Amino acid sequence: MAEVPGWVQLTDQEVVLRARAGQEAAYRELIRRYERPIFALLFRMVRDRELAEDLAQETFVKALNAIQSYRPEFKFSSWIFKIANNAAIDHLRRRELDTLSLDGSPHAETPEAMHATALQIGARQESPLDEVEARELGGEIEAAIGQLRPEYRSCILLRHVEGRAYEEIAEILDLPLGTVKTYIHRARNELRHALAHLKE
Amino acid sequence: MTHPSGPHLSPDDIEVWLSGALAPERERHLESCRECLERAHVEREIVEQLSALPAMGPALGFSERVMQSVILPDPFAIRSLEAKRRRLFASPKSLAFAAGLTLLLLCSMTASIVWSLGHQDTLSALGSWLASETGQAAWLALRGIATNFIEQPWYAGARALAASPGRLALASALASLTYLAGVVALRRLLALPTQQVAHASV
Repeated sequence: MAEVPGWVQLTDQEVVLRARAGQEAAYRELIRRYERPIFALLFRMVRDRELAEDLAQETFVKALNAIQSYRPEFKFSSWIFKIANNAAIDHLRRRELDTLSLDGSPHAETPEAMHATALQIGARQESPLDEVEARELGGEIEAAIGQLRPEYRSCILLRHVEGRAYEEIAEILDLPLGTVKTYIHRARNELRHALAHLKE
Repeated sequence: MTHPSGPHLSPDDIEVWLSGALAPERERHLESCRECLERAHVEREIVEQLSALPAMGPALGFSERVMQSVILPDPFAIRSLEAKRRRLFASPKSLAFAAGLTLLLLCSMTASIVWSLGHQDTLSALGSWLASETGQAAWLALRGIATNFIEQPWYAGARALAASPGRLALASALASLTYLAGVVALRRLLALPTQQVAHASV
């Protein structure tokens, strides 16, 4: 679909107003503006391309279907990043719960049942796609980001990769400004320690 | 732990230094304190590495996949309702006004029902008085119209016409034809133009 000349000059709020009026092109413009930063944030949060795509899609569908409830006094970017971050954190929490049951179902009563319900992680082969992903996120710094706590990861990515202001990060993550500053400082400290071996 | 040129840089100071807006006296400390300078440089290096991370994008057709699951609003159906709802909940003042109005309406309705239940005799007396007065007024109006009709100069001619069935049929036919011609003319006047008209582009 041809891009309507002039979309680029419009602010997010103006594009949102057009989307609320039912203009399909405005929806596409919002996707065009945010698909890359949202996907990048999610990919670095969950470290799985396919999953990041699913979460990004879920984020956009949720945001765009609820565009009528969006309050224009807030930044659209904060709103959509908040939805994306919540999706990532929810997923990571769910995954953490799943990891707890790697040894088998807690309801299994015999060793055989335990073995049958355990996840066979050793059998997982690395597909060519996984290799591409590993290369994409393969840098030392990417690996170090992956080791951070999810809260620190969100903060550091929003601040230094997406270039968001502290106040906006506080709004996105629903955290006090001081906590955001502390998290970013601690995250940088952890990165410094994780990357220290490269200096030696 | 302090230094001759003042206390060491706090994380906030380093943040300010990274954005290039560190106060001159803190800048002087940084230049003379090897420990702070080393820390600041390491932090800058990390920030630079983070900022240089490659941009990433979803696979082609992402926009299409999203749009398949998005329900576009019907602007005419939603706008009026949504606008009203937004206006109503826009501020605590307007919300209080709406709540007050609803309360007033409910109170007056309740008071009306209670009064009606307590004064059923008065209500039925009022009802019968109103019915008799309305009946009398309607009868007087009918008599006035009939008298007026009889006193018209054409009344005698019309009565003679009604006395002869042939003339009455002719007059009825003429009246029907006039009515039909009027309807056809009106339809033609109200019909939409069939020729295409150019519209201004939106």
